[in-house]
Amino acid sequence: MKKWNEKIDLSLQEKRIPIIKIGDYLIVSIQIDMHDKLAIQLQSQILEEIAKTGARGVLIDISVLEMVDSFIGRMLSGMASMASIMDAAVVIVGMQPAVAITLVELGLEMPGVDTALNMEKGMEMLEKRLGNENQNFYKT
Amino acid sequence: MTDLTVENNWDRVASYEIQTENDIVTARQYIRYHAKQIAMGIVDQTRITTASSELFRNMYQYAGGGMVYVDIGNYSGHQALIITCVDSGPGIENVELAMHDGYSSGSGMGYGLPGAKRLVNEFSIESEVNKGTKVRVIKWI
Amino acid sequence: MSETLKIRNIKGRIEKIEDILSSVAAGDKDARIASKTEDDFTGIESAIDLLIDDLTDELKNREKIQKELQDKLDKIQEQQKTIIQQQEELMELSSPVTKVWDNILILPVIGTLDSQRTQIMMENLLNKIVATGCTISILDITGVLTVDTQVANHLLKTVTSARLLGAECIISGISPAIAQTIVHLGIDLTSIRTKATLQDAMIYAMDQNKQRVYKKNKEIFYPDEKVE
Repeated sequence: MKKWNEKIDLSLQEKRIPIIKIGDYLIVSIQIDMHDKLAIQLQSQILEEIAKTGARGVLIDISVLEMVDSFIGRMLSGMASMASIMDAAVVIVGMQPAVAITLVELGLEMPGVDTALNMEKGMEMLEKRLGNENQNFYKT
Repeated sequence: MTDLTVENNWDRVASYEIQTENDIVTARQYIRYHAKQIAMGIVDQTRITTASSELFRNMYQYAGGGMVYVDIGNYSGHQALIITCVDSGPGIENVELAMHDGYSSGSGMGYGLPGAKRLVNEFSIESEVNKGTKVRVIKWI
Repeated sequence: MSETLKIRNIKGRIEKIEDILSSVAAGDKDARIASKTEDDFTGIESAIDLLIDDLTDELKNREKIQKELQDKLDKIQEQQKTIIQQQEELMELSSPVTKVWDNILILPVIGTLDSQRTQIMMENLLNKIVATGCTISILDITGVLTVDTQVANHLLKTVTSARLLGAECIISGISPAIAQTIVHLGIDLTSIRTKATLQDAMIYAMDQNKQRVYKKNKEIFYPDEKVE
């Protein structure tokens, strides 16, 4: 039994969540129930991609996730803080109502983390944010 | 654990061993499955699954693993899902303190117990230093 | 000592007494002997009539009381039916979330809020937000007078959960009593947006939507439409 578990453990660690670049943004769609190591791995991956591509915005799609516990919740808010230090904005997109309620009851209200109902609205949010920045830059 | 199960006329529907991180994921998916078995609403399913995830992680991180027992039966007149986590880890020195929001253990992360408690109907914990910890949570419909 | 009684038509009058008594027994409350003869027998006839008077009075009284009780009972049952019906209507009214404008959802709440009902409301609203993609919702509790701390917590939870989804939930129509309950909970009030009335909330919501309503010749135009 333990050997079998080890095998599965290895294959999961090899699993990577795909990060797609579209224009100035990175899009991450989390489709699986992540174990803790994978969540941390994803965090590092995203930050590496931001550094590599110079992306200004990251959209994290969690519409498939039926559960976000304290670890994953902290990973997501940590992600937003770390990315902002690298001058990229993170928007969490598509949270399910049951997940939102549970996070609030857990005491994880994720203040300062941008969220949007769906990918479209998330992009609008990023456009507005980056658009404003550009405007300010050109103001005399 | 079987004592209370028999005593209360509950059904022991499953037991899971938590040894690896992957076990945490698998076990919590099974918890959702059991919650669906007693026709729990979606939000309550998510609550008990999340609470279980917190407890399983504790067992894995602080005790290196442990056992999860799942019972289904009647509790206080409700159809309920009873989840018991048992480990032989280092135990919690000050349970009362651990049950306070904002408490963090040595590694900087709390046990997540107060949060888990808020998600369930009944929560009980027994812990003895160097002996182990037993946590039971109950979610009814 | 012998007595002499002067009684006229004794047989006939005895028969009459028997008839009247039978009638009364059968239910005729108006039957009386009403003897017109004045003699030694008249006393008995009058006494019997008085007895019948008392008896029928009692009967009439009792019937009156019974009817009053029955009427009261019927009225109470009618009221019960109305209350049950109203309760059902209230439950129906309190649940529906209505999309009243582009991107704005309104959930008007009436009546008493208990923990269970508030939780159901919360789930309904959040599900509707995701289903319609509306980023602004108004929870109007003008019809709610007081809430306990549990319900107040659920209301605030609704606002925070909506924010996590990426939407805003405005609470309008908070009564003074509810305002006190919320403050006593020690919640960070900057995290919830409240408006005094539903109208104020709508105006705020539409402003958020950056919808501007132009009035021209008493007609209302929207930015999308061509204004000539």
